[in-house]
Amino acid sequence: MASPPRNRCSAGFLLTVLLALSAMAQQSALDLDGKPVDPLKAAKGKIAVLVFLRRDCPVSSRYAPTIQALARKFSDTATFWLVDPDKNDSPSDIRAYLDQYQYHLPALRDPAHALAKSAHVQITPEAAVFNRAGQLVYDGRIDDWFIEVGRSRPAPTTHELEDAIRAAAAGQPVARSEVRGVGCYLSDLE
Amino acid sequence: MKLRRIHVATLSALTALSLCGAPLARTQNSPSPTPQVTFNRDIAPVIFHSCSMCHRPGEAAPFSLLTYSDVKRHARQIADVTRARTMPPWLPEPQPLKFADELRLTATEISLIQRWVDDGAVEGAASDLPPAPKFVEGWQLGQPDLILKAAKPLTLPPQGTDTYWNFIFPVPIQETKWVKAVEIRPGDKRYVHHANILVDRYGASRKREAVPGTGFGGMEIRIESQVFDPDSHLLFWKPGTVPVPEPEGMALRLDKGTDLILNTHLQPSGKTEIIQPSIGLYFTSQPATKLPMLLQLENDAKLDIPAGEKDFVVTDDFTLPIDVDLMAIYPHAHYLGKDIQAFATLPDGTKKTLIHIPNWNLNWQAVYRYAEPVRLPRGTTVSLRYTYDNSEDNPLNPNHPPERVVGGNRSSDEMCHLWLQVLPVNFDSTKGDPRMMLQEALARHNVQKNPADFEAHYNLAAMLQARDQLDAAIAEYEAAVKLRPNDATANNALGAALVAAGHPDQAIPYLRAASNNHPDYFDAHYNLGIALATQNDFSAALPEFRLALRLQPHDAGVEANLGAVLAQIGQYAEAKSHFERALQIDPNQELAKENLEALQRQMTSH
Repeated sequence: MASPPRNRCSAGFLLTVLLALSAMAQQSALDLDGKPVDPLKAAKGKIAVLVFLRRDCPVSSRYAPTIQALARKFSDTATFWLVDPDKNDSPSDIRAYLDQYQYHLPALRDPAHALAKSAHVQITPEAAVFNRAGQLVYDGRIDDWFIEVGRSRPAPTTHELEDAIRAAAAGQPVARSEVRGVGCYLSDLE
Repeated sequence: MKLRRIHVATLSALTALSLCGAPLARTQNSPSPTPQVTFNRDIAPVIFHSCSMCHRPGEAAPFSLLTYSDVKRHARQIADVTRARTMPPWLPEPQPLKFADELRLTATEISLIQRWVDDGAVEGAASDLPPAPKFVEGWQLGQPDLILKAAKPLTLPPQGTDTYWNFIFPVPIQETKWVKAVEIRPGDKRYVHHANILVDRYGASRKREAVPGTGFGGMEIRIESQVFDPDSHLLFWKPGTVPVPEPEGMALRLDKGTDLILNTHLQPSGKTEIIQPSIGLYFTSQPATKLPMLLQLENDAKLDIPAGEKDFVVTDDFTLPIDVDLMAIYPHAHYLGKDIQAFATLPDGTKKTLIHIPNWNLNWQAVYRYAEPVRLPRGTTVSLRYTYDNSEDNPLNPNHPPERVVGGNRSSDEMCHLWLQVLPVNFDSTKGDPRMMLQEALARHNVQKNPADFEAHYNLAAMLQARDQLDAAIAEYEAAVKLRPNDATANNALGAALVAAGHPDQAIPYLRAASNNHPDYFDAHYNLGIALATQNDFSAALPEFRLALRLQPHDAGVEANLGAVLAQIGQYAEAKSHFERALQIDPNQELAKENLEALQRQMTSH
């Protein structure tokens, strides 16, 4: 009879391997039809902007008109993607949300937070800007509208995301490459 | 730094090891075994008690907190907002005078939540989980006796600044009713920050609607009243509010023709929202036996805050002329308000903090009810002390860069108000209504405080007039008119008081000023007609009554007076038709009855 501790140990090991495998399978982000997408490649030489949202994060939702307006404003130079990091959200949940908030932007699911990690994003809503060479030049808040959850300025006084897109478009360095946002943590979804 | 890093690495190696079934080693290694904080045992009771009433479907909060997985999905966020005391939303500091339904986490509860998140937010043993909280669905006090629904919904745009909207609810009752409880259902609770009912007994607010039934915008509203009938109840909704029936004997009176005005603060959500509030009324057959009233301390006249000023202090101190029980308190300032304090100094010098909010936030303003009524004897001075921050350091500053800000009704203006719901006690009812004594003392206080305050003089005058002190009232109306010579309301009131005092000749210029400044002002034309007719100037009175009738075609008083003037100038046939019309509207219209009989006698004798 094998000793019980050994058995338990090998079972634990096996489990770890399985987890790692399933994480591998979901490494890449998926579009709403379930196809893996690399948004940096898909940007085809344009600046890529990833905006991370949670459907249950009211701060994310209040930004919908701002995000949509920014995407329209920079449609010639930047490709915008909405990214949902909640593994429990189905494509139809996301479609319904996009419809409600009148988004006309492509959305990706990022269930393993692979995109979030490569974009250094920790909170929703935060955005990441990749320049034409695919380098991460900015990650963080859209602007300073929110001071804390439940407390917002009458209007933002800084516009970090917009500034970063402009700098990337002009090939200039971004003044502040990382400014944390206010909202809901991605780590709470793990 | 290096040492620390090594230490961490060792720890994580240990954790990895424990996966391989080494719980024994772990207990041996930990010197003081503090039990692990678990959701089921430690966190669920806090969440169920202090969060779930709003964090559940259909309520104000943006997501539910009813189960382990709900809470786990927001664990770190909950740790942040509880540590910052942003949530649950409760602004006052702890104090000896307790409030009812205090929603404040203890320091122990807050640190438990931090530890739980730091320890990995584990669920714990199923047997530790307390029963899920039970909530009443729908109307909280059962089916209301009368449900009022806003005639038309408001469409709230997806973005923009906060919106302040007033919905008007006519109350379809045919006789006076007594209300023991009111439940406000503000529409979609997620987008309504707070809502406040004002009682409009004179239909004054309807005139402000561009289209009937749609309501009107504005953060602060003023309702004119014609007799002494002070506001008495603080009818307030904020997220999580459970309606509380009024104390025994303190029902709210509603008369036929009364409108309820729901003043709402709405916040855009990112998408278009449809807001259609309703109000549930619960009646009682018991008329009010105790008459509370709302006392307002304020000092808006002192609000002239220079740009950049960080600590602008405004105070007001009012000494009570009678004994009262303080039931509830409602401080109000706008976005520059920072530190809000109210206290009472008793005749023996004892100082009691009534409320202290060190970090004011208009978004979470609320009415605070005391757990027990607070007895404030006659001679107690009630004080407010508000501090405002008009610097760049105040992120809520509506102006960027800061600008000079003065008192006013717009949300970008500032306010310094404190409402107290008080119940007069130990009074001698043979000396009249104790609320009148309070109101008069307050009006005198306001005039002394700000001699150039138009409203203070006007309100004191109205109070004196209600107490039949006509000469003193006229002097105060005169002071008001001197401050605002073009104000139609004050000119009309002065004119009406002069007519009542037997000086129609002196009244006429003020009434003319009122009707010239406000040509659609029914009262001014009506009173001018009366003044002129009293002077026997019937041909001049005639057009004033005709105009008044055009402005209010269903007023029996105007019909009767118009008939009387016509009869005086010999136009009997037309006079008769107006008397008859007056009696159709109001069969008890005395003037019309008498004059019609006189006219018929005269016609038959001819």
